[in-house]
Amino acid sequence: MRQLLLWSNLLLFLGIASCGPAVSDSPKDLPVRLRVPQGFPSLDFPPDNQPTQARIELGRRLFYHTDLSMDGKTNCGTCHVQSSAFTDGRTIAQGAHGQSGRRNTPTLANLGWSPYLMAEGGVPSLELQALAPLHEPSEMGINMMDAVARINAHEDLRALNRLAYGRDSLDPFTITRALAAFQRTMISGDSKYDQFKAGVSNLTDLERKGMELFFSKRLQCSECHSEPFFTDYGFYNVGLYTTYPDPGLERKTHLKADSGNFKTPTLRNIAVTAPYMHDGSLNTLEDVIAFYDSGGKGHHQQDKRIRELHLSQEEKEALVAFLHTLTDWNFLQNKTLSPWDE
Amino acid sequence: MVGCKDENTVEEKPEDTATSGTLTLGMGAKWGNEDFVVEQVYFDTYGNRIRVDKFMSYISEIHLVRADGSEVLLKDFYLADFENDVNLNYTVPSGNYVGLKLGLGVPAAYNKHEDPAQYPSSHPLSVAGSQGMFWYWNTGYIFTKFEGKIDTTGTPGAELLDSFLFHIGDDPYYRELSFTGLNLNVAPNSPASLQLNIFVDQILAPASGTSIDLATNAVTHTSELDVLATSFFDNYAAAIAVE
Repeated sequence: MRQLLLWSNLLLFLGIASCGPAVSDSPKDLPVRLRVPQGFPSLDFPPDNQPTQARIELGRRLFYHTDLSMDGKTNCGTCHVQSSAFTDGRTIAQGAHGQSGRRNTPTLANLGWSPYLMAEGGVPSLELQALAPLHEPSEMGINMMDAVARINAHEDLRALNRLAYGRDSLDPFTITRALAAFQRTMISGDSKYDQFKAGVSNLTDLERKGMELFFSKRLQCSECHSEPFFTDYGFYNVGLYTTYPDPGLERKTHLKADSGNFKTPTLRNIAVTAPYMHDGSLNTLEDVIAFYDSGGKGHHQQDKRIRELHLSQEEKEALVAFLHTLTDWNFLQNKTLSPWDE
Repeated sequence: MVGCKDENTVEEKPEDTATSGTLTLGMGAKWGNEDFVVEQVYFDTYGNRIRVDKFMSYISEIHLVRADGSEVLLKDFYLADFENDVNLNYTVPSGNYVGLKLGLGVPAAYNKHEDPAQYPSSHPLSVAGSQGMFWYWNTGYIFTKFEGKIDTTGTPGAELLDSFLFHIGDDPYYRELSFTGLNLNVAPNSPASLQLNIFVDQILAPASGTSIDLATNAVTHTSELDVLATSFFDNYAAAIAVE
C-alpha cells in the first residue's frame, strides 16, 4: 500500500512538472526493494543502477516507446507482449518495417538473474544488452544517437531522467540503465507450482504425476530445466535437426563443437509462449513433448540425454499439465509491467 | 568517386608551456607511392579490380618513447577513418624521442565486458564515437573494418559486383607495434612532426607473409583460429611505417 502511495506521488509530480515550474518541494527519487520470490537467490544490481522508482518508471516508458524504433511504430513491447510472458506468438520475430529476425522471441521473465544475455550468451549485463535490439536492423533498427535525439523531445521522459540519473538529457547511459532497471522488475515466481511448493495451492493428480515425471531420473528434464528458473543457462544440441540452418552457439565461438547448441530456455510461463524451440518450429507443448519422446533427429553432436523416452499417452498429458502449472498469472497481468498509458 | 579530402587538423592539447613543444602526428593511407583514396578502383596483385568503401581502425595507447625507455602518452584511443588523412597535434614535453609505440585495436582491459554507454559521446569508445565499431549482439569492439567491392574479371569499366568484408576484433588480435630508431627533437618554437603511413596494397600483398586474394577470401567476421583474420591483421601490422 505504501508503495502504491509513493507511486502516485511520483506520477503527480510528473504531471505538474510538465505544465510549469510550480513545484515548491524538490522531488526526490526513492529506492525500490523488489520482492524476490521464495526459493530464488538474491537479486544483484550494478552499483550505478540500483533500483529506484524513477529509474524503473523511465525504463517502463522507454520499453513501450515507439521513438526508440526506426519506423516510429515499433517498441520493445511489440515483440515482448506481457500477456504472452513477453513473447509475441510468432514463429520468428518481426521488427521495425516488418523485417524478420532470425529466431523466436524469448520470454523476459527473471532476466535479472541471467548470467548472460542474448541467444549466444555473449552479453554480460542487461544494461549492455539494451544496445543490441536498438541497433539490430530486424528489431528496432535505429542508431542509438538518433533515438537519443527523438526521445529528448519528451519532457515527461526528461523529467524522469533528471530524477532518476541526475542528468538533464537522456543519453545512451541513462536509456540503457533505465531499460535494464525496468526489466529487472520482470520477476515471475508466483505460479501454481510455486504456490504448491509454498503450501498454499494444490496440484491435480495429473499435474502431480507430470511433476514427478519432470523431475525423474528417467526423463531428466530438470537436469537442464533446473529450479528455480527452470533453466541452467547451458547450451545444448537437442537434435532438433540433423543439419541446423542456424549455427547456434557456433555463431559466437566459431567452434564446430558448438554447432546447433542453443541456450536452455526457462520453462516458466511456457504454456503462454508458443510456438517453441529457438526457431518457433514446434507449435504446441504436445508437439514439444512428442519431439523429446522421439529422442531427437540424431544430430551427430546431440546431447546423450536426448533419447527415446517411450512415454505413454497419459504420461505425455501429465507432463503438459505440469508445464501449465508454471504459468504465473500475476506476472502476465501485473500493471507495473504494462504500458503506462493503459 | 570521392577524392582524398583536405587534411584535417585536430587540436588535442591546446595548452603550451616553456618546457614543451608541438608535435604533429600525421596519419594517412597509401597505395604504393600514392595517397590511397577510398571508393577509387585499384588493381590488386591478383588482377582483381577492387574498391575499398570503408577502412576504419582503432589505434590505441599511442606513446612517444625516450632513449631511457620512459614514455609520453599522446592518445589513449583513436578511431581512424582512412577516408581522410589527419594531422593530430599534441603538446609534449621538450626533449629527444627515439621511438613511437601504438596498439592496433582496443586493449583487452577496455574491449569486452565494457559498456560503450558509459563514455561521453565524444569518446571514441562511446556509442556515438564508436561509429558502429562494436558487436552489440556479442559485445566487444570491432578493431578494424575493411569493406568494399570487387570485380574478379579485372575488366576495366566493368561493374564491381562482389563484396568483401573484413571485420576483425577480439583480444588475441590486439597488436602492439613499436617503431624505433627515430630522432625526434621537440622544443618550444620548433614544431616537430611524425608521419604514420598505412600501405593498403601491402595489407593484401605483403612483402613477407600471406597474400590475400579477395576473389576467394572475401569475408571474415573474426573467429578463433581464424586464418584469414590473422593474415589480414598480421599484414596490416606490417604495412604501417613511421617517417
